[in-house]
Amino acid sequence: MEPAPNTEALDQQFKEFIQAVKKAVGTGIPHLKDDPKIVDQSIADCKEILDVVMEGNVKEWLS
Amino acid sequence: MFTDKVDLKDFEKQDPEYQDLLRRVLAIQADCEIGGPNLYVKHILPSAPTKLDQLIVARTAAEEMDHFRKMARLAGDIGVDVSYTLSRPNQERYVEAFRGEIKTWEDYAVFGFLVDRVGRFQLEEFLDCTYLPLAKVVEDPDIIREEEGHVDFGTNASAEFAAKGGESKERIQKAVDYWYVKGLDMFGNSKSYRSERYMFWGLKRRPNAVARQQYKDEIDALILKMGLTIPDPNKGRLYT
Repeated sequence: MEPAPNTEALDQQFKEFIQAVKKAVGTGIPHLKDDPKIVDQSIADCKEILDVVMEGNVKEWLS
Repeated sequence: MFTDKVDLKDFEKQDPEYQDLLRRVLAIQADCEIGGPNLYVKHILPSAPTKLDQLIVARTAAEEMDHFRKMARLAGDIGVDVSYTLSRPNQERYVEAFRGEIKTWEDYAVFGFLVDRVGRFQLEEFLDCTYLPLAKVVEDPDIIREEEGHVDFGTNASAEFAAKGGESKERIQKAVDYWYVKGLDMFGNSKSYRSERYMFWGLKRRPNAVARQQYKDEIDALILKMGLTIPDPNKGRLYT
């Protein structure tokens, strides 16, 4: 069975997106009570990554 | 009734109807998984009530992206490219519930309470299904556990709004009224021929009407427990 084009590349790209968001969340949560700057940066990082994913420009990601 | 267990290497040897149904259900499932974040990330990530809530929204989106990834991989392995679901406008989603935008925290809460719950029901359909790679994905505890986490968060947030009474309760009732029928419709037509074929091929476990009734029993009890009113189940429905 021949897989669809970019199956592996899309899978890898998504693993990177997911890992990056989870890392940003994991960085922010422990500092909710003691360091608002770290939390704000975590939220900004999440937003930046998720905005790219929601845009869905697959050709750009995989080029 | 088809009871064989099919692995990827044997997919092309299967009946064309089996192949078509599997391609179709994987494309729809992938579309729904990425459809959720596309509904709420834009407005809810920046506006969630607290910073913790913002981080929870981001984590929820990441988990749904991972569910998308798993379904996209299954689809890709049988030759179906679902990358178009990443860039399509919400209005073009396969399932009507994913065709708008979520702009309020109340709608986000009820989306978790009611629509993510349908997501859990749909994933459960694939448990022990005849296509082994799909059964393996849903039998990995992560995917259903994460979906249950989204459901619990939405249910608790909805209950908190209801418990406050007054305007908060009215707003959450309004959101329940909106999403209730969309959730019921997500199970499709009760007299669907395709639903019967999915069952024949061992790709789903329950008829649409049975799954819908089980879902309805579950949510009706929770809505009453929150002190809210069960909406008219027939008002504004697309499928019965």
